Amino acid sequence: MNLYHSKIHRSLLVKDARTQQRNNAELRFRAYGLTAVSVGIVALVILLVSIFTSGMTAFQQTKLQVTLELPEAKLDKKGQRDLVAMKKVTTIGYFKVLGDGLIAQLERLGIETGLKAKEVREILSKESAATLRNAVLADPSLIGSTVTMEFLANGRIDGYFKGRVDRASAQLDKNVEPGQLDIADALAERRLMYTRFNFNFILAPDASDQRPEAAGLGVAILGSIYMMLVVLFVALPVGVAASIYLEEFAPKNRLTDVIEVNISNLAAVPSIVYGILGLAIFINMAQFNQSSPLVGGLVLTLMTLPRIIIPARAALKSVPPSIRDAALGVGASRMQTVLHHVLPLAAPGILTGVIIGLGQALGETAPLLLIGMVAFVREYPAAFTSDSGLFGEASTALPVQVFNWTQRADPSFVERASGAIIVLLVFLLIMNALAIFLRRRYERRW
Amino acid sequence: MTKLPIKISAKNVDVFYGAAHAIKSVDVEIADKMVTSFIGPSGCGKSTFLRCINRMNDTIDVCRVTGDIMIDMEDIYDRRVDPVQLRAKVGMVFQKPNPFPKSIYDNVAYGPKIHGMARNKLELDEIVEKSLRRAALWDEAKDRLQEPGTGLSGGQQQRLCIARAVATEPEVLLMDEPCSALDPIATAQIEQLIDELRSSYCVVIVTHSMAQASRVSDRTAFFHLGELVEYGYTSHIFTNPSDKRTESYITGRIG
Repeated sequence: MNLYHSKIHRSLLVKDARTQQRNNAELRFRAYGLTAVSVGIVALVILLVSIFTSGMTAFQQTKLQVTLELPEAKLDKKGQRDLVAMKKVTTIGYFKVLGDGLIAQLERLGIETGLKAKEVREILSKESAATLRNAVLADPSLIGSTVTMEFLANGRIDGYFKGRVDRASAQLDKNVEPGQLDIADALAERRLMYTRFNFNFILAPDASDQRPEAAGLGVAILGSIYMMLVVLFVALPVGVAASIYLEEFAPKNRLTDVIEVNISNLAAVPSIVYGILGLAIFINMAQFNQSSPLVGGLVLTLMTLPRIIIPARAALKSVPPSIRDAALGVGASRMQTVLHHVLPLAAPGILTGVIIGLGQALGETAPLLLIGMVAFVREYPAAFTSDSGLFGEASTALPVQVFNWTQRADPSFVERASGAIIVLLVFLLIMNALAIFLRRRYERRW
Repeated sequence: MTKLPIKISAKNVDVFYGAAHAIKSVDVEIADKMVTSFIGPSGCGKSTFLRCINRMNDTIDVCRVTGDIMIDMEDIYDRRVDPVQLRAKVGMVFQKPNPFPKSIYDNVAYGPKIHGMARNKLELDEIVEKSLRRAALWDEAKDRLQEPGTGLSGGQQQRLCIARAVATEPEVLLMDEPCSALDPIATAQIEQLIDELRSSYCVVIVTHSMAQASRVSDRTAFFHLGELVEYGYTSHIFTNPSDKRTESYITGRIG
C-alpha cells in the first residue's frame, strides 16, 4: 500500500531507477545495431578498395610504337603475295622480323643496350607477332614497305609502368632484366612507349598463360550476356506463370503443400548440384554442346526458378484481397482479375525478385565449371549458327573467367582477375539500376 | 407477406466452412425494388449469407453451400450458371471502400468494358457519367475523372464503388456493411443514396447499426448464430418483435 502511495506522488522531473534501466537497455540495443551496420559497411569498403586498387590497372595497358621494315625475303619468299604460301610463315618468323625492327629502331634512336638480341625482343609481348602477322595477311601490299605500328609490351614491362615491378624485383625475376627496364624508360622518354586505356580488356578474348597482357573479357562478357538472355526468356515466363498458378488458381491441398515445400527446398540446394543435373540432362541426355551458353543458361534457369517463384508469390500475396473482391464483384473472371488487377500491382515486386535472381545467376560459378564453361575459348561465340543452334557455341562466363585467371601463375593475372570482378560488379549495378528504374516507372502508373 | 414480385428466394440454405456450420437452414424471400437489411451480432452469418447471393463464397476453398437460392426463379447454384455472369447481374459493395488503384473513370468503366456493354468510347463515357450520377458522385468527380480513385475521401470512395457496381446494370445490389468505415456525414450521404437506389434495384444491405436498418430498409431479417430468427417489415421488427432473441438484440441485451 505504501509502495503505490509513494509511486503516485513521485515527480515526473526525476527518472526512477526502472526507467533509467530501460533507457540504458535501449541505448545498448541501439549501439549493437549501429556496430553491426558499421562492421558491414567497413567490410564492404575494404572489399571495394582492395578490388579497385588491384583491378583498376587492368583497364590500362602499356604499348610501344615500332617503325620497321617488312622484308619480302623473309615474309613472302616466292614474292607472289599468295596467301596460302604466306601463311606458311608462322608467328615465330614474324617475331624475328619484329624483333630486328625493334633493335634497328633502338640503334636509330641511339639507345644503348647491353642486352642480347633475344632479351631486347622480349620487351614485346608474344602477342605482338600475331598482331603483325594478322596485319600483313590482311594487307599483303605492306610487304617490302616500312610501317609504324603499335604493339603490346610484355607483361613485366607493363607491370613496371604500373608499379608492380621495379629494378630490385627485376633482379630476382628470371623473366625480366633490369636492362629491359632501362630500354623501356628510354622509349617512354621518347614517347614511343606509353600506357593507354585498354579497350582490349573488355573486347578481346582470353589469352594463354604466357601473354597476360593480351588477355581480355570479350568472350566471357558475350557468354554471360547470352546466358542471361536464356535465363530471362525461360525463367521469367515459367517462374511467373508457376507463381500465379500456385497463388491464384491451385486448390489448397496436400499436393500443392508438397510442391510449395519443395520449391523452398530447391532454393536452398547448393548450386553445384544443378551443375551435375545440367550435365546429366542437357549434355548427356539432350546432347546439347558442352561449354555452350545455352546449357549454362538452362542450368542457371533451374537454379534461378525457385528464387523467382518465392518472391513472386510473396508479391502476389501482398496484393490486398479487397482488390480481388472488387474485380470479382463486378463480374471479372479469375483470369481477368489476375491479369488486370493483381499482376500489375504485384509487378514491381515480381520484377525485383526476377532481377535479384538474374544477379545471382550472373555471379554463379560452380555449376558452370561442371558443364565445361571453364574451357579456354579464343573464338567469339555466335548467337546462332546452323550447326550448333541458338547460343550453342563454346563460351566462358564472367565469374568463371575470374576463377580461371586466379589459377594462373603469372602475377599479371591478379590484376586481370580483379578487373574482371569490377566488370562483373558494374554489370550487377546496371541490372539493379534497371530494376529500380522499372519499378519506379510501374509504380507511377497507378 | 409480400405483394411485390419476389426477386431472390432462398430455401433450406446451409453453409459450411469446413466443419463449421455457418448458416443453418435459412429460408427467405426478398422482394424486388425494395431495401432489405440483414442485422445481427458479429459472426451470426449475415455477411456469409449475403455473399452466397452472388457466389462470392466460391472463392473460399473450404466453403460449401447446400440448398437452393433462386434469382428470378433460376437456381444460381445450378451447374450451368457461370458465376461471372451472375455477378454482372448481382452487384456488390464491400465493407471497406476498395476502388481499383486506377483513375475514377477506369474504376467505373472496368465492368462495362469486360462485359462488352459499350461499342465505343462515346457510349462508355455515357455509362460512366450515368453511373456516377446514380451514385451522386458526378458533381464532385466530373472534373477529375482521370485522377486516381484512391485519392478520394472515404465516403467518396464508397460512392465510387457503388457507381462501379451499378455501371454493369445489375438487378440486385448487395451491400456488406457499406458505412462501417465511414463518418456520420458520409454515412448519411450513402443512406440517402440507398434510398434513391430502391426504385431501380433490389437492394440487400448488411449492417451493424440497427438505427441504419430502421432508417433505410423496408424489410429486416435478424440473424443469430447462423439462423434466420425473424424476418418481416422493418417497422414491425423494431416495434413489435415476435421472437425473444430479436427483442433482446434490438434492446441491446445481446450482440
